[in-house]
Amino acid sequence: MRLRVDPTRPSSPSVQIVEGILDAIARGALGAGEQLPTVRGLAEQVVVNPNTVAKAYRDLEALGVVEGRHGSGVFVAVAGVEIARRERRGAVKADLQRAVEAAQATGFTREEITTEVERVLAATGRTRSAPKQGGRS
Amino acid sequence: MTTGRSAIEAVDVRFRYGQAPLLEGLSLSVPTGETTALLGRNGVGKSTLLKLLMGLLKPRHGTLRVLGLDPLRDARDLQALVGYVPDRPDAWPWMRVPELFRFFAVHHPRWNAERARAWTERLGVPLDRSFRQLSRGEGMKTMLAAALAPDPEVLLLDEPFGGLDPVAREEMLRALVGALGERRRTVLVSTHELDLAARLGDRVAILEAGVIRTEGPLSEVIGAGESGAAEALRVRLGSEAGEVT
Repeated sequence: MRLRVDPTRPSSPSVQIVEGILDAIARGALGAGEQLPTVRGLAEQVVVNPNTVAKAYRDLEALGVVEGRHGSGVFVAVAGVEIARRERRGAVKADLQRAVEAAQATGFTREEITTEVERVLAATGRTRSAPKQGGRS
Repeated sequence: MTTGRSAIEAVDVRFRYGQAPLLEGLSLSVPTGETTALLGRNGVGKSTLLKLLMGLLKPRHGTLRVLGLDPLRDARDLQALVGYVPDRPDAWPWMRVPELFRFFAVHHPRWNAERARAWTERLGVPLDRSFRQLSRGEGMKTMLAAALAPDPEVLLLDEPFGGLDPVAREEMLRALVGALGERRRTVLVSTHELDLAARLGDRVAILEAGVIRTEGPLSEVIGAGESGAAEALRVRLGSEAGEVT
């Protein structure tokens, strides 16, 4: 799992770790039942205080995405994949909404926005189909 | 996790050099097991606060406690439990690192030669040159290795990254993250490096005009703005100093 923390980004290091792990799970890089890195290991990888990683793990546990198993580590919960996808879809929708609002505020017409979205979709070169299950939120 | 207990505590501390007041009723607590990044402009009293906590200076007024100990009355006990990195390498210029460590081995009740060796090796400290011949980065790494050797519960770090080249800075940062992973430690670290404050600090405290003007969890101090965490700290620091940002 490649994860980075960048202090020049707006969100706090702890939130960046939460988002990075949600993203890894939603993309399938980390599956249900798989173990997360140790707090100490991930802290050394992304170069932040281990307390920050521990806080991110607690927040993920509160979301129901991961579960701590006493003495053996932190694992992706069975329901975690679904929750992570939902969380990520929610975040992406919020990003899209912000982009559309910014476009409208700059004077883009409805047609221009649609054209622009079509152009971006064409430029990515592939029309991805929805994940096999749990696409709706 | 805050337990309500603070390993480092300063209450209404006043201090002046000669006639010039520096700290004017400063209060600050660092919860046990957490790291507070102490920010503030040059000359605002960050080093003085750390020296007061180490018992190297005497306050005119107020209470200081580290692990419940009084820095002046219990200086010996406290200095054995606290790892202190001063803002410049503190050793005789003719000494080499092994000689400095032999001195500590005699005088420090909790000195651990194996840990001292492991940390100097990890930090790449040269053992065959005198302090006179060491770069600032090498000197500061030696100070950090010496501070970590007794495996202290509390670390007081005075500008440990100041004046270091980017490689040494990264090595110091990684060593500190490693040291925090070894065991629960309470840390107060003064720094001008705001990106490092965001990486290390559970909490941030801003010292300005003799008092702590802002103190709280990193995420609350930086807020939910559009700028980066480090930039948010810079803006906060400027506004505490009365600048228009």
